Amino acid sequence: MKYEAFMPEMILTELEDIVGQENVSIEEGERLIYGVDYFWIGRMWSDRGKTPPMPDFVVRPGSTKEVSQILKIANYYKIPVHTWGGGSGSQGGALSMAGGIALDMKRMNRLIAIDEESRTITAETGMVFKILEDYANERGYSTQHIPSCLTCGTIGGALAHRGIGIMSTKYGKIDDMCVNMEVVLPNGDIIETLPVPKHAAGPDLNQIFIGSEGTLGVITRATFKLFEQPEARKFRAFLFPDMTSGLSAGRDIMQKMKPSIMRLFDEAETVSIVRDVLGVEHKGAFMNLAVEGLEKIVDIEMEAIIDICAKHNGQDLGSEYGEKWYENRITFFYPGHIMDIPQMFGTMDTVADFAHVEKIYWAMKEAIESNFPNVRFIAHCSHWYEWGTMIYDRFICDNPPQDPREAIRLHNNIWNTGVRAAMENGGVINDHHGIGLKLSRLMKEQYGPAMQVFEALKKGLDPNGIMNPYKLGL
Amino acid sequence: MYSEKAYHIADNCRFCWMCRHVCPVGLKTGKEINTPRAKGLLVSMEKRGFEMEKDSAEAFYECMLCGSCSNDCATGFEPPVFIREARTRAAAAGLLPEAVERVLDRVLDTGVMYEECEEPKALSEKINDHQKKAKLLLLLGATARIRRPEMALALMRLLEKAEVDFMVLEKEPGTGSELYDLIGAVEETREQAAACGRQLCDTGAEKIVVLDSYLAETLKHEYPLWDCAPESEILTATSFVAGLIDEGRLHPEALSLSVTVHDSPRLARDLKETEPVRDILKASVCEIKEMFLNRELTRCCGSSLFAEYAPKLALLTGQGRLEDAKRTGAGILVVECPQALDVLKMAAEKTKTGEAGADCAVAETESGNRERPEILDIFSLLLKAVEENGNA
Repeated sequence: MKYEAFMPEMILTELEDIVGQENVSIEEGERLIYGVDYFWIGRMWSDRGKTPPMPDFVVRPGSTKEVSQILKIANYYKIPVHTWGGGSGSQGGALSMAGGIALDMKRMNRLIAIDEESRTITAETGMVFKILEDYANERGYSTQHIPSCLTCGTIGGALAHRGIGIMSTKYGKIDDMCVNMEVVLPNGDIIETLPVPKHAAGPDLNQIFIGSEGTLGVITRATFKLFEQPEARKFRAFLFPDMTSGLSAGRDIMQKMKPSIMRLFDEAETVSIVRDVLGVEHKGAFMNLAVEGLEKIVDIEMEAIIDICAKHNGQDLGSEYGEKWYENRITFFYPGHIMDIPQMFGTMDTVADFAHVEKIYWAMKEAIESNFPNVRFIAHCSHWYEWGTMIYDRFICDNPPQDPREAIRLHNNIWNTGVRAAMENGGVINDHHGIGLKLSRLMKEQYGPAMQVFEALKKGLDPNGIMNPYKLGL
Repeated sequence: MYSEKAYHIADNCRFCWMCRHVCPVGLKTGKEINTPRAKGLLVSMEKRGFEMEKDSAEAFYECMLCGSCSNDCATGFEPPVFIREARTRAAAAGLLPEAVERVLDRVLDTGVMYEECEEPKALSEKINDHQKKAKLLLLLGATARIRRPEMALALMRLLEKAEVDFMVLEKEPGTGSELYDLIGAVEETREQAAACGRQLCDTGAEKIVVLDSYLAETLKHEYPLWDCAPESEILTATSFVAGLIDEGRLHPEALSLSVTVHDSPRLARDLKETEPVRDILKASVCEIKEMFLNRELTRCCGSSLFAEYAPKLALLTGQGRLEDAKRTGAGILVVECPQALDVLKMAAEKTKTGEAGADCAVAETESGNRERPEILDIFSLLLKAVEENGNA
């Protein structure tokens, strides 16, 4: 955003008046770091020495009231507001692409309450999710939201992009876990969703803001379910001849019980990442799963799972690989263990019902491998439902173009090709990483006329269009 | 220029978000720039032509070099390496924050980070009793001598009760520990360390028992790298005293107290010493209620050096650790390093008077039903147990 002469200083005075001088910054060093999140293009751009997208102001509110006051000022001056949690999103959703304010929420990190009777935990949304999980663990509970970004994403980030954790098959996605929320609307009004989500008082307000990626307001406080730590968690790994038999086994398991973890890796991932990290020296489709809860029930469920897998020609590999995977579940995401610049890479996760999911897998694989000969495609299914599963499809290009613009062109072509292959075959644009800037252009293709519902919400709540411009197709 | 090692670490850390949940400063300030990945990005952008500015130089000092990020890293990267080098660059470029510069000048002039240099009379008299030649040298450090004499006195009384023949220097030299943290391993740091190394050698001590964990780490780890290590065996005070109990030279009475332990990061992570303090507590029959982040996972409360140039931040980090302790429900928070003791006592005092209370991580509605634990150093607690027994 372009300001004339000393106008930035005038706005700065107002922002400092709300949060204090120490919680606003216009210094370049501090603004620069908001220009890189987990989005590949942002990383590549800075790696090539280009100036990252920068906000004009970094503002750190300490309370809901301060968020409200900031949004009122932003609305008056029509300053874009980009809410920033941990910056660990992979879709560019938090980047300040329109300048304006980067609203860093991490000062709002207070634990509000642990209600052991209702089994809920409430905190401000700037808290890193691992800290919330630690508070729960101290009392013998867990939120069971254990994503790979557990240690770096915030509560607000998880809600904003509709996140998921590795235990989702049993405990649900973040949208299943959230009980209620406090939200600051773009005009500064502070609202609360109903105390509990299961009601017949109209649509669930929670679900309007969960996944809205900062385009409809700022989530400032949230309450989540708490679960007792399971008495037993038992692992088992299987090797299927191919993805088809693995998917069939997964479907049959989901009809009878709910493992907490179930991950089915395609042949390409089995002989690459799974082999490197777990030492699995087999060809085929590797599956590791965990069942948890009361030990007696776990034992019965595991017995039934072993029977189901045997019927689909799954070779029982015992418990060791699953345990090793669990121990290393976060290691996968540290430097040296995960893809990194200069490689080009991305996760085109999609979700579909069992009737379509295999067709989508083959369509995406074919689309990527035939159109981009130097790009590898690997995939696994890691979050399962009674009706279907998601596919965590990844592409990897070891030698992308050096020229940043050429690199972006190739990157976006790969994404368009892969995501369109998913959507054309009954999949959806994204399963759990969100839309952000990366997939914003494809939202209208996905939703068609249904997009007007989101557009009407946006127009009604944010008529000046200040909240996270260019994201979510809004 | 940064070293190749520093660039390599920064280039890996700049796109890695995994350790932000353990950074005590990042968590308490909520500032994105106070994350290892942000600091790594700043270093990597310098390599790509962006110049270090005053605000980014300041950010490199909003770090306690506590090593929690390195400890968490599954790959083994150590952000403190490039943070120290960034401080060297900031000093060379004249970009030091004013408060840092003031402390730096004091350490360069007097070897002590504090404005005041004299220990209180009671300790000074006790030190006078030990102006002699002995095989064991007790190195107290400036914080214990000037700010926390009760800890130094308790330790010395314990050694006397155990009939340990020891000496204490009338005036202890600057060790280079503070300079290393302020401006890195530059010439001035090495010169101060070398002078200290020579003075320690001249004492002829066979063993040097070090009370301050920061000094202990420097003497044990950095001096050999800087070629100034004395030939004497270097021991931490906690491990030496735990050994005295083990040898039957100290006989603590059962205190039956409920305690929690704050592990000093330099002891727990750098020197891998977590059990001596617990051994002492077990010998005093104390029930230990561990904090969630204990031993090598400990959360740094701030050092005295950090508190000297960034008192507001040290108050926040100190309060953060006090909240951790409070949630255990223990009656006493036991501390093993004088610098941690100093920061925690300051934070407790200021919390009592209401300063910065709003920034406590846990809202009072959640943890307000518990009393804050009393803060006590391990040697004062042990001395109490030994004196209650009435024998040594």
